Amino acid sequence: MFFLHNLERRVTLHPSYFGRNMHELVTTKLVKDVEGTCAGDYYIIAIMDTFDVSEGRILPGSGLAEFTVGYRAVVWRPFKGEVIDAIVDTVNPHGFFAQAGPLRLFVSSHLMPDEIRYDASATPAQFTNDADIVIEHGTHVRVKIIGLRTEVGEMWAIGSINGDFLGCLQP
Amino acid sequence: MVKTVRLGNRLRYPITIVKLLKGPGDKVRKQEALLEYSFKWMREVAIRGETRQQEQTTIVTWESPIDGELKHWLIREGQQIVADRGVMEVQEECGHEIQFQGLCGICGKDMTEVNWAAETRDTARAPISMVHDQTNLTVSAVQAQRTEQELQRRLLQSRKLSLVVDLDQTIIQACIDPTVGEWQRDPTNPNYESVKEVKSFQLDDGPTELARRCSYYIKMRPGLEGFLRRVSEMYEMHVYTMGTRPYAQNVARVIDPDRKLFGNRVISRDENGNIFAKDLQRLFPVSTRMVAIIDDRSDVWPRNRPNLIKVSPYEFFKGIGDINSSFLPKRQDLLSSGAATNGMSKKASIREPAAKKNKDDAALEAIVNMTGGDDPALTKRQVEEQERTFEKQINDRPLQALQEKLDREDEEAEKASQEPEDSSESRTSSPPPQRHRVLQDDDEELKYLEQHLTSLHRAYYAEYDSNRALHHTTSNVDLGSVPDAGRILDELKGKVLQGYKIVLSGVLPRGIDIYRSEIGLQIISFGADLRPKIAKDVTHLVVNAAQPGRDKLLEARRRPHIKIVSQEWLAACFSQWAAVDETPYLFTARLMEEDGPGRQQPVVSDEDEETYGEADTEIQAPNGVRASNGRSPKLRLILPTGDAHTLDGDGNDLDNEEGEIEEGLLPSDLPDGQASPIDGLKTFNWGDADEELAEFLASGSSEDGDDDDEDGDDEGEQDDKYIPPQEDEESSSTDEDVRRGRGRRSRSRSVQPPGATASNGSIERKRKGRGEEEEENWGGGEGPVGETPAKRLRRTESQRGSSLRSMYVAAESGEQLEAGSGLPTPGRSDEQDGGGVDKPNGEEEDDEGTDFDAAELEAEFEAEFDKAMAEEEAEMKGNDWEDAAMEDTEKG
Repeated sequence: MFFLHNLERRVTLHPSYFGRNMHELVTTKLVKDVEGTCAGDYYIIAIMDTFDVSEGRILPGSGLAEFTVGYRAVVWRPFKGEVIDAIVDTVNPHGFFAQAGPLRLFVSSHLMPDEIRYDASATPAQFTNDADIVIEHGTHVRVKIIGLRTEVGEMWAIGSINGDFLGCLQP
Repeated sequence: MVKTVRLGNRLRYPITIVKLLKGPGDKVRKQEALLEYSFKWMREVAIRGETRQQEQTTIVTWESPIDGELKHWLIREGQQIVADRGVMEVQEECGHEIQFQGLCGICGKDMTEVNWAAETRDTARAPISMVHDQTNLTVSAVQAQRTEQELQRRLLQSRKLSLVVDLDQTIIQACIDPTVGEWQRDPTNPNYESVKEVKSFQLDDGPTELARRCSYYIKMRPGLEGFLRRVSEMYEMHVYTMGTRPYAQNVARVIDPDRKLFGNRVISRDENGNIFAKDLQRLFPVSTRMVAIIDDRSDVWPRNRPNLIKVSPYEFFKGIGDINSSFLPKRQDLLSSGAATNGMSKKASIREPAAKKNKDDAALEAIVNMTGGDDPALTKRQVEEQERTFEKQINDRPLQALQEKLDREDEEAEKASQEPEDSSESRTSSPPPQRHRVLQDDDEELKYLEQHLTSLHRAYYAEYDSNRALHHTTSNVDLGSVPDAGRILDELKGKVLQGYKIVLSGVLPRGIDIYRSEIGLQIISFGADLRPKIAKDVTHLVVNAAQPGRDKLLEARRRPHIKIVSQEWLAACFSQWAAVDETPYLFTARLMEEDGPGRQQPVVSDEDEETYGEADTEIQAPNGVRASNGRSPKLRLILPTGDAHTLDGDGNDLDNEEGEIEEGLLPSDLPDGQASPIDGLKTFNWGDADEELAEFLASGSSEDGDDDDEDGDDEGEQDDKYIPPQEDEESSSTDEDVRRGRGRRSRSRSVQPPGATASNGSIERKRKGRGEEEEENWGGGEGPVGETPAKRLRRTESQRGSSLRSMYVAAESGEQLEAGSGLPTPGRSDEQDGGGVDKPNGEEEDDEGTDFDAAELEAEFEAEFDKAMAEEEAEMKGNDWEDAAMEDTEKG
């Protein structure tokens, strides 16, 4: 789910950047540092604006200036039970991997409808029910997240396509 | 899924169950108390200053290690339990059989949570990684088996097998030498035709900065496309390479643009989990019965040898090798390919000695590597090593250097033939129309490989069908009847050299167990019998053409039925899976000592020419002058017959010689217009020689009828006493040594029984004998490389122990004077010959003078032989003695 979230971050600036457009530089650096990262259990997708850049404080010893910046960002936090769209990446006999933006999902063969089975003889390998559903590299799928785990800077999820309106998205 | 839960080892047994807190049908959760039990323990109590043990009974609860529904208890209240055992059966909600990055792929629970009630972590339930492109997706053993059975069923249905294909040097060769790119853009280059087909790509996310910048040039083995297409009808193919994932994928794209052949079944170093060895269990954890491997290296498959079809390495870009080889143990199985071109075999022979030099380091490295495991520091080192190799290749441009060398040779040849024209300095400017090219594309391995794979497939399904008929299975798929591909492969290979008894000579470095060496294992796997030394029933002697082991060669030359072949023959057999006709591979180069003095027409082979400096195969230059290492020419006693002991059962000498004529020299091997060096033999009168010998022998010192027996004992004793049994290669060669000595001794027949009182003179002779023997060793005859001082000592001792030896040597020295070379006999004492360096003639003269009455005795002894030998010498002129260890006297 996407949120507009108010966040705060300390940004340091090298003395060579000290000058009139310092605040712009701080914002640029913030965007560069933060956008597209995984902060614990959510991803920071985009920074809307910075609304409060504090006065710079010289850090003793290094000469760097530290600014505390309040900013508003679009964040995405996947939840257990949430239904998201993803693109299939690789297919193997145990299930398939899909990528939902920055999140890597695994959908095991146990969490698919019974009629869908693995077909290794197809090129490329695919999951199919021998009718309209074909899940292979590049297929768009709708997945329900049933498990999530995060580590520093990384997130993984387990998905399921066993349910109404889940699975292959018709183009 | 019902699981039996055990109590675990952490309890203080024996325990007594006090109360069961849950009944069948109840839901149990992790860390929930399920039962109460009591245990007794001793407690130390202090009463009025003294301590004593007091028994205590404590009641504690036992918590559930897993979630699920309790089916029933396996214990009852009041029961005493003395050791860990199952207590209950629980229906689990989820077996956590597929896990992805610490998440259960079935229920989505976090598997990394630590649970104090359980003895094992949940992540341990799915330990097997069997997916090609992922390491973080793991499955349980049950799931792995299920998946594999599914695979087998599918393969059986379509009557296919699995084939694991290596990339580098097996089906392609990669190089990063920028020269290839230049040649591709230059149609005038002689290599243009060769490199036209070479595909290239760049890695965006290569392993190192350098690897990102350079282009990879991929040359497919000739006929690869058709090979893969046809093989894919019989096999489901997997790529298994030690390159990085991006590299593997790019190569797969080159060889299989539609991804029809390999699909996504590509596994690389990044997913291998082991950076030193490949393992079929990584892909087929349960059963490898339906899998075959093609790879150019067998040492990287330590656990899957039976399934491996070893391919001779593809070497298109000469001198490049395998660009990913820094991630593998050093190569030790160099056996130049039978299909190799002349240039290639030259290259191989250059590479071989170098490889041997590194042998010790490599062996050590291999051990370190095998124990190293997934050491990140090691990985880093390997990456660095690869980067160094890359850098070297880009900067040194080995291909360009090779081509320039070839061009220079061409130019010289041209100059010699035509009038001198201004030689073009630059490689590209005005190239002569007929320039030779470095890159030649005439590899035929895939043709044979396809045959092997076809026959394996046929044999496999023939056996499967007969098994199925036995089981009376009607369905198409019967997993119970699946034969083992490894066994079938063994059977197919085992027939190839069945009944051959092979001895290796000069192929392996000394000190290596031939039965465990790469070549040895292969010989055995092809059904041949590998022997450490030459015996009566040996059929083939395989020699390293660059460095033939002298002793075995001489021994084999004496036996007409032994075919002496170069190791290319072996390579051809391995590659074609057939007992290849030996004729083109017969080893015809002759050792220097074998050539009679009258020999005018030498036999020179290509390989030998290059390495004569270090090898003991010294080849006569056309004018008869020996390419010498600067040592003084030695003379040896040559007698035509009398080698009674060695030859018993082998027929007479005449047969022997004729055998040599048939197999030893072929007209095709001789330079055009030159007469065969053994022509003289055809007209030689053998009867005369025999008579002469008899005469000569009669003139020798005290005749000893028991000669041969003594010798036999002697040999046995020496074998037992001096040769450590574990050093097969060494022991055999030492044994050869002894035997050679014995052979010559018995020829001379001028022997005393060992117990005979040794006169002053005989002592001296003995010493001199040792001196000469050592000199002979140091002079390169034995190849001093690898000769340890200890071994030399052993040899010296063995000689000291046998007074027979001294007589033989005496005979030899006599011959030396007789030959009139002007060289004084090296009358050295033990102390003097330590260094074994050949001294100039003058110096030796001095030595002789200072050697108490050596010269006197010498002269006495020599005079005895003089007459006989003069006659002998006259007879020998113009004749060739196959088994005589005679050295050229024309020197100087």
